[in-house]
Amino acid sequence: MDIKILDSWLREHLETNAKPKDIAKAMSLTSASIERVEPYGSDFVYSAEITTNRVDMASVCGVAREAATVLPHFGFSAKVLPLKLTAVKNENKENVPLTIKVDEKLVNRICGVVLEVKKGESPQFIKERLEAAGIRSLNNLIDVTNYVMLEIGHPSHAFDYDRLKHHTLIIRESKKGETIVTLDKKQHTLPGGDIVADNGEGEIVDLLGVMGTDNSVVTDKTTRILFFFDNNDPWRIRKTSMGLAIRTEAAALNEKGVDPELALEALQRGVALYKEIADAKIISDVVDIYPHKPAVHIIKVTSATMQRIIGVEVPLKTSVSILESLGFATNASGDTLMVTVPTWRERDVEIEEDVVEEVARIYGYHNIPTALPPFTQALPYHQNQNPFYWETRMKEALKDWGLTEVYTYSMVSETMFEGPLENAITLKNPLDMDHVYLRKTLTPSLLQVIAENKSYDSVQIFEIANTYHKRKNDLPEEIRKLGIVLKGKSETFYHAKGLVEAVTEEMGIRHVTFRDTEVGGIGASVYRDNTHIGDIEVMDEQLVTIEINFDELLAHANMKKTFTPLPKYPPVTEDISLVVENNVKTGDIMDAVKKTNPLIKDVELLDIYGNTRTFHIVYLDRTKNLTTEEVGKVREEIIDNLSKKFAAKVK
Amino acid sequence: MEEQLMTIKNEALSLILDAGDIKTLEEVKLQFLGRSGKLTLALKDIVNVPLLQRAEIGQLINEVKQSVEEAIDRQGEMLKNKRLEKKRESIDVTNPGIKPPSGHIHLVTHAINEITAIFEKIGFTRVRYPEVEWDWYAFTALNFPENHPARDDWETFFTTEDVDSKKGSIILTPHTSNGQIREMQRVVKEQKGKGDISIRMLNIAKTYRRQSDVSHTQMFHQFEGLVVGKDISIVHLKGTLDYFVKSFFGENREIRLRPYHFQFTEPSFELDINCGVCLGKGCKLCKAGWLELGGAGIVHPNVLTFGGVDPKIYSGFAFGFGPERCMMMKEGLEIDDLRLLYSNKLEFLTQF
Repeated sequence: MDIKILDSWLREHLETNAKPKDIAKAMSLTSASIERVEPYGSDFVYSAEITTNRVDMASVCGVAREAATVLPHFGFSAKVLPLKLTAVKNENKENVPLTIKVDEKLVNRICGVVLEVKKGESPQFIKERLEAAGIRSLNNLIDVTNYVMLEIGHPSHAFDYDRLKHHTLIIRESKKGETIVTLDKKQHTLPGGDIVADNGEGEIVDLLGVMGTDNSVVTDKTTRILFFFDNNDPWRIRKTSMGLAIRTEAAALNEKGVDPELALEALQRGVALYKEIADAKIISDVVDIYPHKPAVHIIKVTSATMQRIIGVEVPLKTSVSILESLGFATNASGDTLMVTVPTWRERDVEIEEDVVEEVARIYGYHNIPTALPPFTQALPYHQNQNPFYWETRMKEALKDWGLTEVYTYSMVSETMFEGPLENAITLKNPLDMDHVYLRKTLTPSLLQVIAENKSYDSVQIFEIANTYHKRKNDLPEEIRKLGIVLKGKSETFYHAKGLVEAVTEEMGIRHVTFRDTEVGGIGASVYRDNTHIGDIEVMDEQLVTIEINFDELLAHANMKKTFTPLPKYPPVTEDISLVVENNVKTGDIMDAVKKTNPLIKDVELLDIYGNTRTFHIVYLDRTKNLTTEEVGKVREEIIDNLSKKFAAKVK
Repeated sequence: MEEQLMTIKNEALSLILDAGDIKTLEEVKLQFLGRSGKLTLALKDIVNVPLLQRAEIGQLINEVKQSVEEAIDRQGEMLKNKRLEKKRESIDVTNPGIKPPSGHIHLVTHAINEITAIFEKIGFTRVRYPEVEWDWYAFTALNFPENHPARDDWETFFTTEDVDSKKGSIILTPHTSNGQIREMQRVVKEQKGKGDISIRMLNIAKTYRRQSDVSHTQMFHQFEGLVVGKDISIVHLKGTLDYFVKSFFGENREIRLRPYHFQFTEPSFELDINCGVCLGKGCKLCKAGWLELGGAGIVHPNVLTFGGVDPKIYSGFAFGFGPERCMMMKEGLEIDDLRLLYSNKLEFLTQF
């Protein structure tokens, strides 16, 4: 959370010769980050980021305490100026009635006192300090609660005492479906389990720790208030605040666990202010119900651990002085420190390493030297088994072949999920309806990219990404796939097939074949040996999609190179044109040609024209020069074979 | 015979010089040197030469052949040059070139490739672990208490899959830190009985959070480093991140650590780098002189224990940054809306 405080206010609690900029820098390097110091009239305002574990610093006093520790390490003088507080005593002859009952499961501490007050405007200095902090000044009765929260760090609430029937508060869990109207006049239906105050008749008069309710807050008629500090289970506060989307400053503090020890101190400070600015008179005894005091942690820290984590030796004396100035009590014996954690750090400092962090940060991370970790071991490296090597290489290859890489979301909408929805890993809490189901295929996402770039006639895109496949009682299987969409080329199918061939050749994968599609539609299924590894699908004359299991490709990717001795005798080549029916497959013809005679080294399709296909044939005998007669004989065999199998005729 | 050869030679040379184009020259070549060319036939005729003169004539034929071949080559060169000369006149050097096909690699991949290369140089190995993960690996084993806000369903995506009694819900990884636990478990298992544990992991993966605005997309990437060994300290964390920053952003850049809070590290830091424009003095662009890069820290002993590593013997550090953010902090890549990266507008993608 971010807090804003005025420099003049801070200096009421901190005596230092450091300038605002110095304070910001020293704090940022060792404590809370003060991201900005900006002029504010004749004053300065600090913007500090307080991490969730350091709610003890989310106040003027909290920052002052840290700054007083930190600044001397940067060569400045600094000390805390403690608040002068006096005990709150009933100034009335009689005690006005007040009954507070708590459920100890919910409450750490409740403090309250009834005051007679005069409502009015706050003096200028209060207005200014609140406004600099981003809080609107309303009236003196409300302003004091906010002022005390900013100064000391404990939120509070002012009830109109006379609007509390029976002057009773019963702190209990809400029931599901109970409704309230908060002081901003908004109605909320409670989910149940929220911490609420009941007026004894079942009516809710406060949403504790989050926001007051309209039926009990101060009004123009208010003359008596219950000044009330509640310290409750932080987790329930967060659940209520987030669940109902009521994000107040108080909730932001309370959900992080405020030190309950602060409550009485803050009450005393608040009463003093009410006296000063609202003519307050104390008319009840102070109620202080305190079922859960902070635990006392004593932590053992050794200088060996200290050195092991920090990397350099920090003298024990230095550690002791740092810890003491932060409010820790220490007891040194030999190389060991016994450290007692102050109440305001109870939730935060629990183990040895937490104490080391306190020493290290104040010692200064900037004072710690820099070195690479020692390089002691490395496993043998096999590039061909490195999936990242192949993925990078293939992305580069696809780019070089003219394709553009895209990154689309893993989550898709209902219409974009391929297959029955019960096979989908489904998000319980999607952010929007376009991103609900974890995809099993990439193609729909890529087609969406094409659709969203309508103005481009020719587009070639690809993506390599995980797809998610449901398994029983286990995490989904994550299969990496390569998806490609080509738009705007004629002969799309053959471009797509060529691309798949190029990919598999580049990866050194053999035995890749194309069969008639098994997924319906027009296209081909791609096989490696007898494993179906992907599909090519022709969507229309100008649009084709490819989706290949990239993990299967990785499993068979191969960098092995083999050498074949160069032939000593020249090959003989010739082209044969055949007339065959259109339904005869070129692949089958080529297989048949290859199998005819071992002297045939290679067959390629040169050209298709009408019903004529021209093949380029390479004959090679590694042991001698081929004679025209020998080649002629093999040619006869080929033609004979093809005419029998496919009724092919030589043209 | 000699005379005959001289006639052939002269005839050849004059025809060669007359040949005005490559095709004619080829014909001339065939006429003299081809299978039934005049010189070839003359050579065959050598059987009719008296035995005593045969060597002499043979040599003469070869000389003639050689000079004819040379003349053809010379004339060929000359014709080619002439043709090229014409080409020179027809070339407009300002006309566009014909390029090989060129596609584009996504910016995120560029970032991932560069980051990987830098860390591989100092001995890190890239790994890949589940992006859809058990709650246990993403939270419990990383020392997140049961009630931690990050485990709320308004920050992390949960699935409707059955909850496992030990490993909890199945979620989308909100960070790459689950890789810390998985890597430690893997190495511990592999190294059992073989020697010391030594980890230098780089885990780059997709991550997901329930946020979408100019600086957040619900899917993004992280790169996570984990180093575990004996006596690994803040000194090594600083050394590693300094090496990365100087490699990725430039040698004039500096890092600084600020105290921060993460559940899975203790101490925890936020890493800043000084602004590339003012180098830390403070300017209009950066305000305070420093830019925030990401989180880091010394691995929490509970996390080591969950990973199967004894925190009394080993220590480690970890960091997790966004490649998108790192990329966008480079000069010239100040993209004002992160969502553009995943919008897949071709006008955008084809810029890189």
